[in-house]
Amino acid sequence: MKYLKIFFVASFLVLGSLGCTKLDEKFQGDITPAQVAGGSNSVSSLLASVYTSMQITYQDQSNYMAMSEMTTDELIGPTRGPDWDDNGVWRVLHAHAWDGDNLHIRDCFDQLNSTTFAATDLLQYSPSAQQAAEARFLRAFSMFNLLDGWNQVPYRDPGESVIVPSRVRVGPDALTYIIAQLTDSIIPNIADAPPVNKANKDAARVLLMKCYLNKGVIANRATPTFDAADMQQVITLADQIINSGKYQLMANYFDNFAPSNGNISKENIFTFNRVGGQSTGGTGNTINSRWHLTMHYNQQPSGWNGFTTLGDFYNKFEAADQRRGVAYPSLPTGATNPGNRVNVGFMAGQQYDLKTDAPLTDRNGAPLTFTPDVKLIETGDNLEVTGIRVNKYPIDYPNDGSGNVDNDYVYYRYSDVLLMKAEALLRTNAAAGALAIVNNLRAQRGASALASLTLDNLLDERGRELYWEDFRRQDLIRFGKFLQPWAEKPSDDPKYLLLTIPNTQLAVNPNLKQNPGY
Amino acid sequence: MTIQRMLAKLVSSLLLCVLFTLTAFSQTKTITGKISDDKGQPVQGATITVKGTKTGASTGADGTYRITVPASATTLVVSSVGFASQEITIGAQSSIDVALVASSQALNEVVVVGYGTVRKKDLTGSVASVQAKDFNKGTYTAPDQLIQGKVAGVQVTNNSGAPGGGATVKIRGNSAVTGTGQPLYVVDGIPLDGRSARAGVLTPDLGGAGGDKTNTPAGNPLNFINPADIASIDVLKDASATAIYGSRGAYGVVIITTKRGQSGAPRLDLGASVGASHIMRTVKVLNASQYVQALTYYGVPASNNYGSSVDAMDAITHTGVVQNYSAAISGGTDNGKYRLSLGYLDQQGIVRKSDFKKYSVGFASNYKFLENKRLGLDINVITNQYDENIAPITNNAGASNSLIGQALQWNPTRPLKIGDSLNNFAGTIVNPLSMQLGYNDYSKVTTALASISPYYKITNDLEYRLLYSINYSTGTRRTSMAPYLIALPDIAYKGWAGIGNSELITQQVTHTLNYNKQITTDLNLSAVVGYEYMKFTNKGSNMQGFGPGDGSVGSAGFGNYNLDFTNYIQFSNTANRTIGSFIDPTSELQSYFGRVNLNYKDRYLLTATLRADGSSKFGENNKYGYFPSAAIAWNIAKEDFFKTDLLNQLKLRAGYGKTGNQEFPAGAAQAKYSFTANGGLGQVNSPNADLKWQSDAQYNFGLDFGVLNNRISGSVDYFHKTTTDLLFPNVQIDPAPPGNVIRWTNLPGQVINKGVEVSLTGGIVRTNDFTWDLTINASFIKNNVTGIPAPIQTGTLSGQGLSNTFVETIRNGLPINAFWTRIFEGIDKGTGQAVYQDNGNILHYAGNPNPSTLLGISTSLNYKKLALIINMNGAFGQKIYNNTLNNVINVGNIRGRNIALSEYQAPVKESLSNPVTSSSRFIQSGNYLKMANATLSYGIGNVGKLFKNANLYVTGQNLFVITKYKGFDPEVNIDQAAGASGGNQVPSVGIDYQAYPTARTITLGLNFSL
Repeated sequence: MKYLKIFFVASFLVLGSLGCTKLDEKFQGDITPAQVAGGSNSVSSLLASVYTSMQITYQDQSNYMAMSEMTTDELIGPTRGPDWDDNGVWRVLHAHAWDGDNLHIRDCFDQLNSTTFAATDLLQYSPSAQQAAEARFLRAFSMFNLLDGWNQVPYRDPGESVIVPSRVRVGPDALTYIIAQLTDSIIPNIADAPPVNKANKDAARVLLMKCYLNKGVIANRATPTFDAADMQQVITLADQIINSGKYQLMANYFDNFAPSNGNISKENIFTFNRVGGQSTGGTGNTINSRWHLTMHYNQQPSGWNGFTTLGDFYNKFEAADQRRGVAYPSLPTGATNPGNRVNVGFMAGQQYDLKTDAPLTDRNGAPLTFTPDVKLIETGDNLEVTGIRVNKYPIDYPNDGSGNVDNDYVYYRYSDVLLMKAEALLRTNAAAGALAIVNNLRAQRGASALASLTLDNLLDERGRELYWEDFRRQDLIRFGKFLQPWAEKPSDDPKYLLLTIPNTQLAVNPNLKQNPGY
Repeated sequence: MTIQRMLAKLVSSLLLCVLFTLTAFSQTKTITGKISDDKGQPVQGATITVKGTKTGASTGADGTYRITVPASATTLVVSSVGFASQEITIGAQSSIDVALVASSQALNEVVVVGYGTVRKKDLTGSVASVQAKDFNKGTYTAPDQLIQGKVAGVQVTNNSGAPGGGATVKIRGNSAVTGTGQPLYVVDGIPLDGRSARAGVLTPDLGGAGGDKTNTPAGNPLNFINPADIASIDVLKDASATAIYGSRGAYGVVIITTKRGQSGAPRLDLGASVGASHIMRTVKVLNASQYVQALTYYGVPASNNYGSSVDAMDAITHTGVVQNYSAAISGGTDNGKYRLSLGYLDQQGIVRKSDFKKYSVGFASNYKFLENKRLGLDINVITNQYDENIAPITNNAGASNSLIGQALQWNPTRPLKIGDSLNNFAGTIVNPLSMQLGYNDYSKVTTALASISPYYKITNDLEYRLLYSINYSTGTRRTSMAPYLIALPDIAYKGWAGIGNSELITQQVTHTLNYNKQITTDLNLSAVVGYEYMKFTNKGSNMQGFGPGDGSVGSAGFGNYNLDFTNYIQFSNTANRTIGSFIDPTSELQSYFGRVNLNYKDRYLLTATLRADGSSKFGENNKYGYFPSAAIAWNIAKEDFFKTDLLNQLKLRAGYGKTGNQEFPAGAAQAKYSFTANGGLGQVNSPNADLKWQSDAQYNFGLDFGVLNNRISGSVDYFHKTTTDLLFPNVQIDPAPPGNVIRWTNLPGQVINKGVEVSLTGGIVRTNDFTWDLTINASFIKNNVTGIPAPIQTGTLSGQGLSNTFVETIRNGLPINAFWTRIFEGIDKGTGQAVYQDNGNILHYAGNPNPSTLLGISTSLNYKKLALIINMNGAFGQKIYNNTLNNVINVGNIRGRNIALSEYQAPVKESLSNPVTSSSRFIQSGNYLKMANATLSYGIGNVGKLFKNANLYVTGQNLFVITKYKGFDPEVNIDQAAGASGGNQVPSVGIDYQAYPTARTITLGLNFSL
């Protein structure tokens, strides 16, 4: 009996001690930093993730596009009765009435920073010079957009803990850093285009052009000045791209955005690669949000009846200007468009069934006729049809359902290089050369030649060429027009030249400061 | 031995026997009688003994007994399991009837407190015990519903009217800044994982991912337990009781004890019930003629009048048939007892094509070995499978993509069918009948919970016990949608199929040493120390694909042959498939715990506990948490100075303890890199090596009393619970990994819940033929948040016009999940537009979704063989955000869709262009009192010699609800958590959005034994 007792007490102790574990947590479907470091080809996988991190930022309509276009005279997101109130989050962007709680400003700030994180993180895993240069380019690209929008660029060193507050580079200091990165680390090490769907030397040159072109703006957004040396840098870089002979303007403007743009476009300099039917692994809406967000419910494919352009902007185009809209040949399985209706560019007036050519109606049974006038809050019976709709990307019908459309998202185009060169020339009193560039572009697009080039009509030309490509906010600020009134937007306080640092980030990072005036 | 000697021995023996009998006869007498319970029902198997002897008898099924006692016997002792034993003076009586008092009212009742039991009179903490006979009556799929309204301080909210739908259980208020806030469930000593193995499939077009990565609401994780097998449910409320469960005890602990076999002859209990369910309450929308009038009233084209008259809600609902059968065979000897139970439940939902079938087999047994019977063994097995057909009712889809929204919105003049064909058309309006027929969603969850527990009495005072358990649960889900759902853009002309699998395993080893010693006559010591190791595994996979073809108009897709597409998913479009699999990181919990109970003179009681919990989920710098508690109690009624017949029980209790909550996903404390499509790889979290449990500190002061021989008894408790180190999915500090990753932190700040709980039980009338008992419990709870660094948004509204709209906040100075939105001031008579305070630009506090008062009322009336039991529950002071009214049946929908009758009849005409905006307009009072269930039963007793204890009853569930709320049911909680998709989020409270309506069920049933 006594032995039994001892046996049980002993077994209790033994089993108890055997049960003790060190409580180490082991991943089974994920990996640790040590495994990343020990794996072969880890860096190329990490680099792929840096690229895909940019999908939600640029392709989803509610992030960088909302920052760069909805805040301008090119785009409005009206509240249409039961639709698109969304707690007023769109209205404040267009009306310049946002604050530090704005959801989309917050998300865009986070997303741009997520790319800088992923690109920085890669650098701790011994990348090749080319890989490091690609990552540094993508980081510089994000940092420049952060600097442009928020004037504050948080950063950490590779491998630094992400739960301690990051440090912040502000204004011209941040620009100096980006220029140094591009000049010293990126351009010398990065491969030449093609392919344009990877970071490349020309893309880096375009970014560097933008750095120099906007240098005076970043120093003083309210009253920018433009240093001749900076403008000369822009011209030199543009010439490097132009003289490479790799790029030319397309006969059909919309080829640059078509499902097959990766194969046919000679204008695109930097794109996000998409293969029809294949997921990129990215999150957020894909490019198909570009057509869904603007099209009416009764169009094909059924849209969300959201964003439109404003009448004044639509009226900047000549009727013959190809960029105002064409009937783009559709893929055989899509809508065949028997009536040859405008299906890309600006969709104004009566809309038609692109398969049968029957006139469409709205959900009230009234004709689906898009009208130029549009209000922030639509209250009339016609609230479904106000606003002219804009879609630059010809629809990839077969892949629309999955969202894995074939259209490569376009970050940089050759025509932007030409227009930036023209602007640099104009700002350094070389208007004749600038006019020649602009008129050459206009001729290619089917528009009549301009008699003379001024800052005002150059800004308009940039609008016509680059509308809804996420440059408008930067352009309006650089040309000093951002605070002026336009439809459904009053003239406003200079504080709106900068976006708000999200309150969520201010709460966790003492190194960030809210921008002045907010 | 010769035959003669044998005969001689036999004869002498017989003679001896006769002699003995004769002597006995001359000195004994026979007593007969009947033993009944306090309601007059016969008690079978009660033991009647002569005090101080071994002479005994037991009662038959009709409660009668016959005992022969020595003439010298003076006292009979009557005892039965579940009742307090009684001593009766024999005197000259030859017939003695005894009414036993159920031991739930008796003080020797044992209460399960985790790793042991205590006598109720020794309790120092706040523990409520509900016995099977006091459970809610009716058909329930999960045990949490059995105690709704039964325990003060416990709020049980059925999240959905769907059969098998989930429930939210909140013990002593709400302190969950993340996670579910649900208590820890412990079944026969086995703490559950808390998650369900119901597989998730993310259905396209039905909204974003919710719990378990589906868009239909999560089911109840306790569905695998057969309510008929439960003997009692004990609720540990205060920290002195829950601290023994350490880092998992903060939201309270619910201990479920299943039924056990009793020694005696085999006994077969059978039960059967059949019932019918209808919708309890409808939401009033326009009928066809009102709709036609409304078209004119709002100036909408008459083309919206299609000339028919249909009731879409009626078309998608029906009378649901409910069948429930149970059988249990039990018995054994003192050295080997068993109970085997079978159960079958088939519950049709009131929404067509939704149902819940459950098959249960349970086995519980106890064996004793060795000559001295010191070695014992418990073996328990619960096996269960439940099959569900789930309706396409989602938490967060737009109204046109969820069945209830579709039905509420359906234009009542538009035919659902044209001839024999479904009326399907392109656009954004989905025919609810098509949705119902074209959507199939079948889930199966199979669970086996098995434990083996040997124990050995080392000495009379010391017992060692080992418990090994495994809880294995696996789920499959098959969901498909038909190509003819042409108004769903992704599904149209393609169809879709998805298959999901999941597996949830919990393994446990527990060693305990129990010591129980009467040290002196006045001092009793009982103590337990133990070690526990648990390991949790959660994994799954899924595949889904759209039908073949490009979805152009007229394409066949998966075809329209009424087949289940999940049977031939390989023919889906290769370019349009997704597959996935996952496994959580290893998750282990290792604990050391101990408890000491001291009882001095039955007057002064002390309980102290300590648990050390280590978890693999915790950060490197905080691997172990320590959770102490202490409580004292003073039995004033036992004091010499306190001798009164009036007050026979009076006990004061005070306790304090610390508990924790570790409800965050594994893999949050260390850096984690995940793979993405396209060969990508990237960090996906913001690791926090300091991450630890959320802490709760709770004070409890209580008073138990009983008067008039415990005819009236009750408790009053005051509690004050402070939750700190709030586990919170905080924002990342930019620059941080992509995907708005969560940075799990322990947020500074406090959530304080404090309140008073009162429960009272009384026998109002006690006569031979008629008794009336009444139990009332009430809780009054206040909640406040302080010290958090920045307000937290949650309460995400859903549907068109309300994207990214939050209506709840967790911020300092307000109750948790306070409504925070713009203040509605009315509809402008001129413009028909809504007017808001501050033009709607500034959001304000707009109400509290947490109830201030909970009420439970149970009453039973017995007249001879008739018994009526009524259970009611209510909640008061809480507000509900009616998201359904906000944008499913708002007036703007009159163009082609239906609207709420209340809005049409409103005195001021609202403009159709008035934007759909979140505001206090849709925050409504959620006060209610519900007739949860009522049962009228007739005790037939024995029928012939075959059937014993037959009992016939009729039960009504959800008979009525008294409320001003305009939705289906004020008892509602749609999961509208905010945060990263899937996984843990900041939960919402009190949002109603096109929920599965509540059923009213009438059941007829019969129980009997063989």
